[in-house]
Amino acid sequence: MSICSLVVAVVLSASWGAQPAPSWKPGAPESFHANAQATSDAGGVAAALTFQVDAYTPDAERARLVAALTSGGSPAFLAALKKEKAAGYVQTGERKVTIRYARVQALANGGRRVVLVTDAPVHFVGGGATNAAPTAGFDLAVVEFEVDTVGLGSGTMAMAAKVKAGGPAGVQVDDYAQQPVKLVTVTRNRS
Amino acid sequence: MFVYSLNIWVIASLLALVPSQGEPRKWTAPETFVAKAETRSGATGVASAPVTIHVDRYTPEADLKMMQEALRTGGYPGFLTALRKAPVVGHVEVGDRKIPVRWSRQVPDGANRTISFVTDAPIFFVGGGNPNAKPKAGYELAVLQLKMDSSGIGEGTMAAAARVKPGGETGVVIDQYADQPIKLVSVRREIK
Repeated sequence: MSICSLVVAVVLSASWGAQPAPSWKPGAPESFHANAQATSDAGGVAAALTFQVDAYTPDAERARLVAALTSGGSPAFLAALKKEKAAGYVQTGERKVTIRYARVQALANGGRRVVLVTDAPVHFVGGGATNAAPTAGFDLAVVEFEVDTVGLGSGTMAMAAKVKAGGPAGVQVDDYAQQPVKLVTVTRNRS
Repeated sequence: MFVYSLNIWVIASLLALVPSQGEPRKWTAPETFVAKAETRSGATGVASAPVTIHVDRYTPEADLKMMQEALRTGGYPGFLTALRKAPVVGHVEVGDRKIPVRWSRQVPDGANRTISFVTDAPIFFVGGGNPNAKPKAGYELAVLQLKMDSSGIGEGTMAAAARVKPGGETGVVIDQYADQPIKLVSVRREIK
């Protein structure tokens, strides 16, 4: 092995698995662009969305919401959520829906998982069908996505949902749509 | 000489395959059209779905006149009643749903033709999934129109949930649920 090859090998092995330093400062305010897709046997829908996060929800407020859900179920959670300060908005077309819960969690690979909850539904996927299910009770939307250190990622979105206590995580999301909308590309916007 | 004669025969055979230009081709049912329905919502949303239209037969002129008269005299309720009494002449297939067609009419336009279909129920409420969607009541049928060329290729529109009323230049005004008509693109007559 020549000295040159040895140097290249050492540099590569040192960088293997190491995450590049983010070119941005993590944390709010920040915004993300997402391409949402929903497909079924009958066809497909695609839409562009913006998630503007002005502030992430502190632990104390999160605890308050979880307590409301645990003690009073979905109605209590919704009431508590609507009392929270606005943390940003989800925008689709000209419509903006207020985010009242925004949490970010660091991942082992250096990326982040972001969870957003709005205080109103964004869209009833399948609501235009002639045999559509009733929309009552699906009073919010839940977004979950992961982005890497570069700010690229993917996720899912329940565009109209209700949350209830239960399941292994303590929170269950009941989605109006037959299946969650895929966020096929999520990009952190340059600030 | 032999080669020359053969060429004459080949050309004559090929010419026999080409439809004569003077007479418009007569299209008859049963026939099937496949299309892709497309609609946009502002600059940020798009939806598409495959649509198949099966025509078992075209509605006889007498039945068409009866439905037109019902619309003229009885308005939308009168038309709806007459439409639902008319025999099924085909169906529109979207996903696993089949919606009966009770009005099918083709109007020749030179070598081309314009075909209209009316179903006895709505197919889909475009925009019905919006949280502030308007009520769906009253939009009880769907209207499709195809413009087909002589080779069986065309385009069209679909009012997937609509109601009709008398008026306008044609005597029929279509009031549709969606903000804008759904486009039917890549329409082709299916070759069996």
